[in-house]
Amino acid sequence: MKPKIEILEESDFKIRFILKNVSPALANSFRRAMKAEVPTLAVDYVDFYVNSSYLYDEILAHRLGMLPIKTDLEKFNMQNECVCGGEGCPNCQISFRLNVEGPKVVYSEDFISDDPEIVFAIDNIPVLELFEGQQLMLEAVARLGTGREHAKFQPVSVCAYKIIPEIEITEDCTLCKDCIEACPRDVLEAGGDKIAVKDVLNCSLCMECIKVCEQNAIKVNETNNFLFTVEATGALPLRVVMRKALEILRSKAEEMNKIIEEIQ
Amino acid sequence: MDVPREESASDFPIRCFSCGSVIGHLYEEYQKKLKEGKSSKEALDELGIERYCCRRMFITHKSVLKELSRFHGAVG
Ligand code: SF4
Ligand code: SF4
Ligand SMILES: [Zn+2]
Ligand SMILES: [Zn+2]
Repeated sequence: MKPKIEILEESDFKIRFILKNVSPALANSFRRAMKAEVPTLAVDYVDFYVNSSYLYDEILAHRLGMLPIKTDLEKFNMQNECVCGGEGCPNCQISFRLNVEGPKVVYSEDFISDDPEIVFAIDNIPVLELFEGQQLMLEAVARLGTGREHAKFQPVSVCAYKIIPEIEITEDCTLCKDCIEACPRDVLEAGGDKIAVKDVLNCSLCMECIKVCEQNAIKVNETNNFLFTVEATGALPLRVVMRKALEILRSKAEEMNKIIEEIQ
Repeated sequence: MDVPREESASDFPIRCFSCGSVIGHLYEEYQKKLKEGKSSKEALDELGIERYCCRRMFITHKSVLKELSRFHGAVG
């Protein structure tokens, strides 16, 4: 059977889908590709000209790194693959400038980007507060990177899956309802003259129901279907993250194929 | 010593320490909901903060900037 994706819920920042007919190895590489291989922009280098705020340069630089940036993957190269050879040029990096005086709360929207389309994805994040007489002047340089290098480059925050089981109740069942009582996720219910599965997606495979069943009448079997929950940071739309992750997986597999052919 | 009860959002963590979800922009709204008399639970539920890693970020935040600012201008 062919692998298939069935989307259950989708919003701008969260998606839930079922990945069907794949091995646990493929499901996990998909998860890891979304987390660690899809590149996004993040602030990586900051020049401070003036900083008389209460926060150290390092703390501010770290806070700037945490801000998700709307990324256009067509516009930027990875720095190590860029024509500039990694030195930094408009094809691989972008600057955000700030020059403010207190008293003022600095928000992510106060930064002036080189490119009006590449801005911080959420515009009302408070970065710091400047008090009377304090000044901040800086240039923050963002570049592409992957989650493999630093978590700030991850396009997703939560990205997790679990196996969707198949719950089987055999004829030995005496309808004692112990399993319904024991289930912490409210998966099972009494459906007339048998035990029915109400919400299999909620099952955590804790196996409590099997432990309490004296008749050994209930079985929780693993399947090749996986329930994914993925949350975005705003850097890239979730569909783009998924597609890009699969493209990366494919190119890695092709590379592997080539290596195998060469040694044969 | 009178400790200011109102916390400042300006040094609230931008990401949840554990899951990395972006929460920095929600703290001001959280404070507003508390001021309306809602409990922390109600406020967090309304903001859609589900996981307990993110929820503890809100209920345990203490602003260092706010503390320091009480002495602003006292030195120098
Ligand atoms: S515990 Fe076992 S015997 Fe009792 S209702 Fe559940 S499956 Fe049937
Ligand atoms: S494995 Fe756990 S969660 Fe799943 S049905 Fe059994 S008791 Fe409920
Ligand atoms: Zn370059
Ligand atoms: Zn969290």
